[in-house]
Amino acid sequence: MSLQPSARDWRLASADFVRCFAGWHIWALLGVSDVRQRYKRSRFGQFWITFSMGIFVAGIGVVYGGLFHNDIRTYIPYLAVNMTVWSLISGIMSDGTMTYIEASNYLKQEALPKTAFVMRILVRNLVAFAHNLIIIPIVYILFWVTPSPVALLAIPGLFLILIGTFLSTLALGILCTRFRDLPQIVSNLMQLAFFVTPVMWHIEQLGDRGQYILTFNPFASFLRIVSEPMQGHIPELSAYVSVLVYLALLFLVSWPLFARFRARIVYWL
Amino acid sequence: MASIELVDASVDIPIYNSRGRSLKTTLLRRVGGQVEADGRDNVKVRALRQINLSLRPGDRLALIGHNGAGKSTLLRVFSGSYEPSSGSAEIRGTVSSLIDMMMGMDPELTGADNIILRGVFVGMSLKQARLAIPEIADFSELGPYLHLPMRTYSSGMLMRLAFAISTTRFPDILLFDEMISFGDAAFSNKARSRVEAMLGKASILALASHDLGALKTYCNRAIMLQQGMIVSEGKVEEVWDRYVNVQRESA
Repeated sequence: MSLQPSARDWRLASADFVRCFAGWHIWALLGVSDVRQRYKRSRFGQFWITFSMGIFVAGIGVVYGGLFHNDIRTYIPYLAVNMTVWSLISGIMSDGTMTYIEASNYLKQEALPKTAFVMRILVRNLVAFAHNLIIIPIVYILFWVTPSPVALLAIPGLFLILIGTFLSTLALGILCTRFRDLPQIVSNLMQLAFFVTPVMWHIEQLGDRGQYILTFNPFASFLRIVSEPMQGHIPELSAYVSVLVYLALLFLVSWPLFARFRARIVYWL
Repeated sequence: MASIELVDASVDIPIYNSRGRSLKTTLLRRVGGQVEADGRDNVKVRALRQINLSLRPGDRLALIGHNGAGKSTLLRVFSGSYEPSSGSAEIRGTVSSLIDMMMGMDPELTGADNIILRGVFVGMSLKQARLAIPEIADFSELGPYLHLPMRTYSSGMLMRLAFAISTTRFPDILLFDEMISFGDAAFSNKARSRVEAMLGKASILALASHDLGALKTYCNRAIMLQQGMIVSEGKVEEVWDRYVNVQRESA
């Protein structure tokens, strides 16, 4: 078995991607109805997403604010923004492990583009993200934070996160379909990642060692380029550079992997 | 122009979660494709072996064979979902596979929502799907149930709705796994004329069935599959006779 994709593999992988965007209705609809289905028949529906985030931020904010000797008026807005962005990244990462497994009914019957199911995961988590975003203005009003126009920089940052998670889901989805232990490993690693990424704590608290986190923890860089603008800071150039380096690496791994094993996914379901 | 071209197409499905040894005994059973174990304890099901087949417009192919002979797998190769593990399959034209008509339907959503969801899968845009609701509602005769969650439907109602949605689009290539039958006589007639209209428009049909009547009515050529190989090819009646003979011999 060769690991090298053939010319035909490359061509079919690109065709898959093109067909995915030509038929965007499918994944847009699937992603949205995934969320609707989860909260169907509950009174508050999908706003439970917002409530859970609000409750988490309030609870953790008070305790950890005290623990880290932070001023709650600055800590809670910091935590709310970070958690909102983090839940988008980690949500896609953990849902992504099931990309093809949960789509097995569809994939076994029709020649639908595989990348459409990656987009479905992205849409599903973007809908949740939109619900979580609601708490940001509420927190800002409560704690008298004035938003700054720098926040607009979060939009290109979000776009970069989506490209990154698209590429990683493309690869993770395939690997998790073939090796069924991997979803468990990923969910464990994501738990760890939450604690080694400056979501609840400030990078300055680590002193000089913080630099290692910023260099070697990809999640930290992806988090910064969205959450810092939302708090009115312009991210350092180094954050963008490291995000672009990670994107290039992800592309170099994911795309050949997808090209080579795209046709095998159905066989592994 | 629609066409299906299979050259030496094989489908070997690896089974990673079972041990080779315990499955070796299954090599002795009668039904199913061939199960093989390679040196590294990996078991694979040889669902299709070196199939050569060429379907052109006007071809109505009957797939005959016992359970597990590879009929459904072959239909899935025709639909494009299984790309052969060796050999090649070129499929040209829009395909509608009615193997599972309920694919993509969600019991928590209302009938109308499901029309949109399922409609998009059969190739409609969101707008087209929305416009198709009245027509589908009319055909399936669901009345007020259309705006209730699908989980409240009886199985007959589910079938009606799934059938009505799956058959609104007329594809170039039509795939059936057993002809659909409805208990309700009036609806059954309606469904039959809808299928006939689809067949009239479709340029290629493949039908897997154990019902000689249906095969004779709809098909003009036949293949018989055994352990994933084409063992007989020709007119529907001839191939069917061979199938009956083979069954008698093994009984």
